[in-house]
Amino acid sequence: MLLAENLVKTFPGVRALDGVSLTLRPGSVHALLGENGAGKSTLVKLLTGVYRPDGGRITFDGDERHFAGPLDAQRAGIGVVHQERNLIPAFSVAENIVLHHLPSRGGRLDKRRMRAEAVRCLELLQVELDPDTPVSRLSVAQAQLVEIAKALSLDTKVLLLDEPTASLTGDEADRLYSVVRRLRDAGHAVALVSHKLEEVFAVADTVTVLRDGRSVAQDAPLTGYTQAQVVDLMVGRAFASIALPTRTVDGEVTPALQLSDVSTALGHRGISLVVRPGEILGLYGLVGAGRSELAKAVLGLERITSGTVLIHGRPARIRTVGEALHRYRIGYVTEDRKGEGLFLDQPVSRNIAVTVWRRLARAGLVRDRGERELAGTYADRLGIRISSPRQPAGQLSGGNQQKVSLAKWLAAECDILIVDEPTVGIDVRTKAAFHELIAGLAADGLALLLISSDLPETVGLADRIAVMNDLRIVGELANDHDYPRMSQQIIRLIHTAETVSAA
Amino acid sequence: MTAQLETPAPPDAPPRTPHRVPLWANPRVGLVVLLVALVVLFSVLRPAFLNTRLTLTPLQSDISVYLVVGLAQLSVLSLGHMNMAVGRMAATSAFTMGLVHDKLGAGLVLSLIAGLAVGALLGALAGLIISRTGVNSFVVTLAMDFALAGLITILYSGVTGGVAFPTMPAGMSELRSDTFADYCIGDVCGPRVPLVVPFAILAALLVGLLFRFSRLGREILMTGANQRAAELSGIPTKDRIVQAHAVSGLLAALGGFLLAANNGAFSASLGDSFLLPSFLAPVLGGTLLAGGAVSVLGTALGAALTQVIYKGLNLLQFQLDQLQLYIGLVLLAALSLDRARHVLAERRGNRA
Repeated sequence: MLLAENLVKTFPGVRALDGVSLTLRPGSVHALLGENGAGKSTLVKLLTGVYRPDGGRITFDGDERHFAGPLDAQRAGIGVVHQERNLIPAFSVAENIVLHHLPSRGGRLDKRRMRAEAVRCLELLQVELDPDTPVSRLSVAQAQLVEIAKALSLDTKVLLLDEPTASLTGDEADRLYSVVRRLRDAGHAVALVSHKLEEVFAVADTVTVLRDGRSVAQDAPLTGYTQAQVVDLMVGRAFASIALPTRTVDGEVTPALQLSDVSTALGHRGISLVVRPGEILGLYGLVGAGRSELAKAVLGLERITSGTVLIHGRPARIRTVGEALHRYRIGYVTEDRKGEGLFLDQPVSRNIAVTVWRRLARAGLVRDRGERELAGTYADRLGIRISSPRQPAGQLSGGNQQKVSLAKWLAAECDILIVDEPTVGIDVRTKAAFHELIAGLAADGLALLLISSDLPETVGLADRIAVMNDLRIVGELANDHDYPRMSQQIIRLIHTAETVSAA
Repeated sequence: MTAQLETPAPPDAPPRTPHRVPLWANPRVGLVVLLVALVVLFSVLRPAFLNTRLTLTPLQSDISVYLVVGLAQLSVLSLGHMNMAVGRMAATSAFTMGLVHDKLGAGLVLSLIAGLAVGALLGALAGLIISRTGVNSFVVTLAMDFALAGLITILYSGVTGGVAFPTMPAGMSELRSDTFADYCIGDVCGPRVPLVVPFAILAALLVGLLFRFSRLGREILMTGANQRAAELSGIPTKDRIVQAHAVSGLLAALGGFLLAANNGAFSASLGDSFLLPSFLAPVLGGTLLAGGAVSVLGTALGAALTQVIYKGLNLLQFQLDQLQLYIGLVLLAALSLDRARHVLAERRGNRA
């Protein structure tokens, strides 16, 4: 049994954890829930020796422990699967699983023992994988299972999973959770961090909810709660769904963005869609359907091989993002805000003004004051919480970062906006505010293409929904916002398309 | 196993205060302190260190050369790139200046312009290769350094039959030996500042202006901070890479010209000593090797510190090998500090 009592962790200026306790029992799955920044990751890092607690204590099977580092924690029997991938692509499955304690014989790698240990871990999961396959050849879901196998090596008794299904499809997630159940039945203690409440309720036995570094529900049986109650606990107040402003779209007006029979070098075929000013077109599909890639083709980052793109009714050949931005006023809010949306070390003011330096510059020179004023204006308008425009973007919370990554396109006065998975990894409350914001932009007359894998989000926001599967548009629906009916239709569209392409 | 429900905390915690770098952690302040301490130390050990004609005037010339050379490296460090060919670009440009003067009879200004143009072109070529092929800047410029080293030897022996041009444009010797104290209006004479100093100051001001206030410089820095994000923000990143390298080549050429003025000849070995100091000055001054942030003032301090150490150890009669040992150690220490600063910044940024 892993017991954490009254853990305290302070970072300069922030108390990340303030007296949080956690109990993980063998043969049980414990859910650890909370909004972004509530302290879940910090807690996981304390339990696995990445950070050292400033107060409180950790006991494991009755002994007090001070872990010197992650490897120390794993030797003690605590394994962790972090949100990010930690595998080495060029190495084999077996090498990755035993990476941190490669068996050696006389200074040379003992391949037989390495394979045996890897096979043992894979058998625990009842997963059939060739241990000699390089990880680079595995699917995302298979790689995730290898991560778990890696966490299970060295006789792990406690397994911590941080958002294990973030990049998996529904089927893959189901399979992963059947593995989790098997581990539980074999007597492992499992802690599960996830934003997906349906999954949590399906698999976990007990729950701890964190808010602002404290636990608001501690070690409670999950059966005592409904999903709505858990959300209330996470958010800290009864959470009412926000009534979005209603819009009327003029169906006669010239479309802001129109694709006719577009094919790309990546394999998109016959893509046709229309987005009018003041309208939100939802582009729904599973991960890997080719939606972001289509957006990038419109921006000139991927090659369009045939078909036409019309901007405000005129044919456009876009070759660079600069051209898309300055000539056609198209903005693209990327799904990967840390990797390609933001300059994390740079001030918020520069992150917002980067698209408008061309306009701000006088004789090639940009004044800092003009830039900071602009940043201030958009911080106010979008409710971005910054202490100063000079604050580095990397210091902001996920939701605020996302707003910064949107703000630069609004500052550039774009009238066509492609928004890609705008609320991935964002907590419930900020998510609602973001939806309101997007609806407000459409009400202001922008044309929006909303790429999302979040069905409630798509049905809640879009005027029409185009469904994409395997690089094709498989259907388009007028949205009547009747969630059960719309979601059924959409899922049926994807499903039938799959059977057709399989036949 | 009971659920404990606490009273809800206020939902809006105050936003985090941005971290201000404490004064002691500011590399520039550390440099000033170190610089003053060393000057005091050397003056006490060797009073000749304060002799204007013997030490201080040549020191200013040396600092000017290595400030410009440091700025040449800084221009590509802004991208997170390196220019390993900084010395050979300087040498090739200096050859051009000598050629234009010696064979075509051009004057000082025209020779200088021709040399600067060749430097900028060489830099642009390096930038073009890096941005089109995606090969690491270190490898590309190292290969270029190698090729230019061969080219310079061939050109000098072919054109001059030796390793240096026999003549210098008119004005070069004044640039070498005169200070402003030699120029008087009536009874008022200038300070004992060598004539090459204003070149370096002007270069520093222009580079500062470029990275601090110009759109071009900012877009170069953003490309260095995150090239993918810069591309997706509409910045033509490939052009910015070419431009930053062209600026680097241009400044290397200027550094070569100033050194030729100090040495009194356009020679083949010119620029051999540029590579290490070119990194030393900006990195000591707090410019990140990772790109995205530069400090021109820091580079000036870094260049001053390096040259003071050289001069001081020289006066204390250290051998050249020993000098190299100490300078190498200083760079290693500076690089470790650079890494430590980076890690510190990252830790402060990532407390989620």
